[in-house]
Amino acid sequence: MTENILEIRDLVVHYETDEGCVQAVNNINVIIGKKTILGLVGETGAGKTTTALSILNLVPNPPGIIKSGSIILNGVDVLKLPPKKMEEVRGNDVAMIFQDPMTALNPVMTIGEQIAESVMIHGERSKEKALNRAREMLEQVGIPASRSGDYPHQLSGGMRQRVVIAIALACNPKLLIADEPTTALDVTIQAQILELIKELNRKFDTSMLLITHDLGVIADVCDRVAVMYAGRIVEEGTLEEVFNDTLHPYTEGLFNSLPNLRKRGEELVPIKGMMPDPMNLPKGCAFAPRCPYTIDECTEAVPELKKIGSHLVACRRYEDKNFRLRRNS
Amino acid sequence: MIRFIIQRLLQLIPAILISSFIIFFAMNLTGGDPAMIIAGDKASAERIEQVREEYGFNDPVPVQYIRYMAGLVRGDMGISYVTNKDVFKSFMARLPATMELAFASVFFAVLLSIPLGIYTAINQNTWKDNLGMVFALFGVSMPNFWLGLILILFFSLRLGWFPSGGRSGIISVVLPAATVGLGLAALITRTTRSAMLDVIRQDYIRTAKAKGASDRAVIYKHALGNALIPIITVIGLQLANVLTGSVLAESVFAWPGIARLIFDHISKRDTPMVTGSIILCSIMMCLVNTVVDIIYAFVDPRIKAQYVRKG
Amino acid sequence: METATAKSAHPVYRSRGLASETMRRLKKNKGAIIGLIFMVLLVVVTIASGFIYDYEKDIIGQNISERFKAPGLEYPFGTDQVGRNIFARVIYGARFSLAISAGAVAIGLVVGIILGSIAGFYGGLVDDIIMRINDVLYAIPNIMIAVVIVSLLGTNTFNLLLALSVSATTTVSRVARASVMTIRGQEFIEAAYAIGVPTWKIILKHIVPNCLSPIIVQTTLLIGTTIIATSSLSFLGIGVPAPAPEWGAMLSEGRDYMRSAGYICVIPGFAIMLTVLALNLLGDGLRDALDPKLKK
Repeated sequence: MTENILEIRDLVVHYETDEGCVQAVNNINVIIGKKTILGLVGETGAGKTTTALSILNLVPNPPGIIKSGSIILNGVDVLKLPPKKMEEVRGNDVAMIFQDPMTALNPVMTIGEQIAESVMIHGERSKEKALNRAREMLEQVGIPASRSGDYPHQLSGGMRQRVVIAIALACNPKLLIADEPTTALDVTIQAQILELIKELNRKFDTSMLLITHDLGVIADVCDRVAVMYAGRIVEEGTLEEVFNDTLHPYTEGLFNSLPNLRKRGEELVPIKGMMPDPMNLPKGCAFAPRCPYTIDECTEAVPELKKIGSHLVACRRYEDKNFRLRRNS
Repeated sequence: MIRFIIQRLLQLIPAILISSFIIFFAMNLTGGDPAMIIAGDKASAERIEQVREEYGFNDPVPVQYIRYMAGLVRGDMGISYVTNKDVFKSFMARLPATMELAFASVFFAVLLSIPLGIYTAINQNTWKDNLGMVFALFGVSMPNFWLGLILILFFSLRLGWFPSGGRSGIISVVLPAATVGLGLAALITRTTRSAMLDVIRQDYIRTAKAKGASDRAVIYKHALGNALIPIITVIGLQLANVLTGSVLAESVFAWPGIARLIFDHISKRDTPMVTGSIILCSIMMCLVNTVVDIIYAFVDPRIKAQYVRKG
Repeated sequence: METATAKSAHPVYRSRGLASETMRRLKKNKGAIIGLIFMVLLVVVTIASGFIYDYEKDIIGQNISERFKAPGLEYPFGTDQVGRNIFARVIYGARFSLAISAGAVAIGLVVGIILGSIAGFYGGLVDDIIMRINDVLYAIPNIMIAVVIVSLLGTNTFNLLLALSVSATTTVSRVARASVMTIRGQEFIEAAYAIGVPTWKIILKHIVPNCLSPIIVQTTLLIGTTIIATSSLSFLGIGVPAPAPEWGAMLSEGRDYMRSAGYICVIPGFAIMLTVLALNLLGDGLRDALDPKLKK
């Protein structure tokens, strides 16, 4: 099983606030193999970012608490590591690209220093060499090395995201987590950044967890897809399986709410209602209140993730052998 | 950068004009006759009239003001009505004492408050934080002169470690500086804590942690570097404040500083001394502010870029 | 109908909810509650002391045979250099600090809110003039402003109030201006304009209520700093004149007997500190309760 870079097992993360307990991540299992890119899709508030931060053990505490579960990164359970060891893991074994490049860089340090810092934390003694490595990395992400003395405020959003990517890849991490890396950027820049991530991923042989709510991005980049809803994985499979043989009604809903350029004039079908309050999740399937296929059993118990046909889905309707989503019939 | 400094100094001119105008007229229009003070209590009516003529008190106030400003342009701040001494020289004679007290108390305050502010911020909402904040709250709630008296009572009268007043070498500055400094420390602690808390929430702190930076590096390199602007602002403001406003500490400790000079002469209607001192004080405050602005540029590249753009 | 839409986006319409929500959060803050209880007690006790003690006899009447009695059963805080009961003087004296500070801050509130709203609402030259003068005054330590005003105009209650209200005015007008400027740009104000609500009505009905929370917080803190300023002036001999039992004046009188009877100085200072501490606790609590974002 050491083939896998990342194995998340039964992870539960809660945020305990004055108002109540937010059940952000509820018992999820995620596995990422070598050189694989897993896409994690879901709406805002589904628990995607919390999952990502758990891997780095950086869930803001208080109020966030990792209640149970294990996260095995490269054979080591990071949740059991002492803080010093965890610092060695961060940036070296696993690195992260954040959503908003405008705020992700320290405004009072040059971009070169910020990349070099990562290199120096992970073993490089000489500042000179670290800065050289930083310039190298800048060239890799398409920024002239001569700009390494610039401050973040002198760069555009797209350039800053390139710097964030350079910081993340500076120490050749085995796993790269990209949390909505293109959401805050202009559409034209989005494509460039995605291309860059794909290219570097191939070059450095990195595995990746790509978090997004954009199915287009998933289709473009990922090998495997996990769909997350209200802190649970509801469907997981290869890109083809999930896209061509969609099993979960929520995934179907996501596809239906996408405009299709080839079928212009077709009406969009949004998912009705809103995500349930994460402080007060329903007893049964969290999607049941919004699901067009709901039957009484759906509200009784949380469905388990089971293999149905080609891949995994958490939906009790498949207990009926003849059940098919409209999209597939 | 040099042009920026010159610009700042030019801004002083309207400030001097306004403050001197207000003070000069206020001193002359609020009653009291300086001629009687100059001539002395027992002087005859003729003598007082003679003094009035001599000093030009019979001229309308605007004429007196213009005469005063003409002198000021030539670098002549006039002569005190009370002591008959040159105003500029009297001010300068008091300046070292004021500077000594101001810098000593700010130094004391910074030494105490910045570590405490950081400590309370990183232990937010624990008992350590609460204890630190209660200390700071006591510090801002304590009247300065009372703290001074208590320190005298304990360290000077009871233990005899420090003199209870006057300025006699480095040992005599300890109690006044502690008195002023403790109040400042409370303010700077609160500012440091809230600035640190503000910065710690920022995304780039998460980026630094994700790189694997240790807690120490995150706090001292990334967070403190960004929290410095509000901290420097409050330190600069406090320094400017104690340079001119330590009248209570100066009077508790019989410290021969500028605030006492102004306080003592204002009730004696010594217009040249008070007006001159206030003008010199505003110059001093402007210098402090300019230095603070220059420090900003070194701390934050964004501010430096602004200065360079403006020229 | 249009009015309804303009108002539906109006934050103040939740005001009742906001007030009870604030109270709920305030109740959780131990410090704020202690501060509040202390202030209520102080007001009650000082009013009661007016009925219990006779001003001429118990408060300023001298009783040389009883002088320099250390704190004990008979005199909880001891007696001073002319045999007056310090306990009676301290609780009676609270009224000076409270009334003068409240008065000065009230003047500061009225003038400050008017100036700040005008500056923030109209902007341009009016704003420039008001704020430049404000900047100059704000830069000068407030104790120096008060000292200069009282020394020049003479020592009486009116001048004392005037002197102390200046620094309150500068603070309040800054806060008011800042709130007005943020609120002015928001859409519900534009909407109100669009349907023809007159300017003064917009200021009064929409803008002032929305500036309230920062101003409430500042008022609490300002009363605290003004109490210190009042007693500082009295200490310097230009505030409330002796023999009135103003705390700063008591301290100043006791100074000469520090070596033998330190408590004469120490006790009035404690009274000042505890009162200001209570107000600061309350102000901080109010700030957290009114703006929960800041706490997290």
